[in-house]
Amino acid sequence: MLKRGLPAAVAACVALSGCVQTRQFADLQFTPPSGDYKLLVLRPDVTVGSITTGGMVQPRADWTDQARASIIAALKAQQAARGGNVTIVERRNQLPGVGEQELADVERLNFAVDQSIVEHKYLGNTLPTKRRIGLDWTLGEDAVRLGQKTGYDYALFMHAEDEVASGGRIALGVLGLAGCFIGFCAPNVGGQQQLDYASLVDLHTGEVVWFNVVTAGSQIPGIKFGDLRTPEGAAQMVERLLGRMKPGKAIREQQKLQAQERR
Amino acid sequence: MCGRCLELTRRSLLGGGAIAAAALHTGVAEARVRPQDMVPLIGPGFRPTDTDEKGLWKEMDRVEEEVAGSNLLITDPKITNYLKTLIATVGGPAAQDFRIYLAHIPDFNAMMFPTGFAVVFSGLLLRMRNEAQLAGVIAHEAGHFLRRHMIRSWRDEKRKTDIFSIASMAAGIGGAAAGAYLGDYVQLAELGTILSLFKYSREMEAEADAMGIKNMAAAGYDPMEMSNIWQQLIGEEEASARYRGKHRHKGGIFDTHPSEGSRMVDLRADAIELTVPGKKYENYRERYLATIGPIRPLLLDDQVKLNDPGASQYVIETLAQDGWNGLLRFYEGEVWRLRNRPGDEVRAEQSYAAAVAYPDAPADAWRWHGISLLKQGRTGEAKGAFARYLQMKPDAPDAAWVRQMAAS
Repeated sequence: MLKRGLPAAVAACVALSGCVQTRQFADLQFTPPSGDYKLLVLRPDVTVGSITTGGMVQPRADWTDQARASIIAALKAQQAARGGNVTIVERRNQLPGVGEQELADVERLNFAVDQSIVEHKYLGNTLPTKRRIGLDWTLGEDAVRLGQKTGYDYALFMHAEDEVASGGRIALGVLGLAGCFIGFCAPNVGGQQQLDYASLVDLHTGEVVWFNVVTAGSQIPGIKFGDLRTPEGAAQMVERLLGRMKPGKAIREQQKLQAQERR
Repeated sequence: MCGRCLELTRRSLLGGGAIAAAALHTGVAEARVRPQDMVPLIGPGFRPTDTDEKGLWKEMDRVEEEVAGSNLLITDPKITNYLKTLIATVGGPAAQDFRIYLAHIPDFNAMMFPTGFAVVFSGLLLRMRNEAQLAGVIAHEAGHFLRRHMIRSWRDEKRKTDIFSIASMAAGIGGAAAGAYLGDYVQLAELGTILSLFKYSREMEAEADAMGIKNMAAAGYDPMEMSNIWQQLIGEEEASARYRGKHRHKGGIFDTHPSEGSRMVDLRADAIELTVPGKKYENYRERYLATIGPIRPLLLDDQVKLNDPGASQYVIETLAQDGWNGLLRFYEGEVWRLRNRPGDEVRAEQSYAAAVAYPDAPADAWRWHGISLLKQGRTGEAKGAFARYLQMKPDAPDAAWVRQMAAS
């Protein structure tokens, strides 16, 4: 009975231990940008590393460069298809008319705000004052000033990290899987882990209008969920992260009403 | 029957583990690394060629951009250029490759990053009594880079965690095949792995001390000053702990750095070994004080506001071993005033009175001295002190209030 049950258990374990999750929040009044808009992408933060046999993450410069190039290409193609005009800033001194320190301040402020969004929207520490009102965070005057100085409509902050299981890590998982047949079942030592998040800031109002987090990963080394190093994997990530921007709740309700009226 | 013998082995195993841990604990003072054995492992203009090191450097690019643009930095060009010159003086073959940043953090600390940029905390500049001491700390940090410690530690950790993962998997599978439970051994091995990582980290620190003191002495700084730093730090921590009714942490098996006491002793032995008879060694105290002079009030102000009167008093008294002055007396008074124990008010008043006797007394010393005179009913003298304060600081935020006090 034990022998027969095992393959099924292993199959269930494999199926359950890996997944892609995405969860987005938007301002109540948010409408996804479309038509002729100008989007500023601030220093996309990309790192790709390899998981060693022992579970440490070894950053890989070559993979990171590859992934960054692929992500930027995918992002440009995606936004152009929507009518957007994208500028990607790689270094803080590359934005004409804006000082390095000024841009750094906006970035740091955004980082703090993002942390707060994650804390109160994703990690369950809901704030009573921000319940059922969508995404209610702002970068304030600093972001508005950035918009006025540069003429951009939106700023997008983006983070992507991908950890790919190394050969040794996969072998360890295979060993753990083999152990299942003699009663020591440990295939789920931890495999690929990907974490991406993005926040969209309206530079006319300074408000964070949209936020999304994508996590993808597997407890079993060797199973992949889109490899950021490849153009396909990068495009898949950009699509998961930014492809399905939902309008805010108020706008969705409006649209529903309009649709009913038309009927 | 067998279950019982397994129990026995498990108990003896844990007992053995405890003995091993105790042995490691007493063995925390590792063998001294001798300065003459320390040679730089890199040359000028080093760039990484191995994949893992390249990855580490790439990550650090962004970190350095963040540090370099941080609004916590003190950017006074006179002081930052001074630090640059110091690291170039004690930086061995990589002298021209280092970058150094001064962070406004009132803590005794400095650190080196894998790509060769160092961050020095302002609290360090407060505590150093002369240039030789500061050069010693910077030489230690440069030593980490010259001996390639970051990548070596990384590789050590990678190797040990690899071995541990494979071994514990093998123990699980082997144990299952043999019908024995080896989980206790795996846990002990895990503890052993962790302890060995901490031990490696302490070895790297000992190497950096030895490399640092060698380069410092070669540059003509008095090498004994490096040991004195630790003597000062131990004194400060003891004073701080005593005030709070606690004991100073004396080092253990979970420490990344060797204990302060063992560093002090080892560095003293190093200094004696390195001192060449007849060669002239300097500590450049005057040059040091002249350079940090403009920010010294800021450094002292940060310290007394840490609410650590034991440490603050010790630091001020240590600096005063090179001579009291108005600035140090004023901040001594601030320590008492902020501590506010019975009798501290009088102590503070005495310090302010002593401070204003020196020509370098800060404006605030005159202000507080004036207030204490006023309390004693010495109105005429108080008016004089307030006038002096307003003359030194005409735009003081409380100028109107002080003017009113002086008039009443």
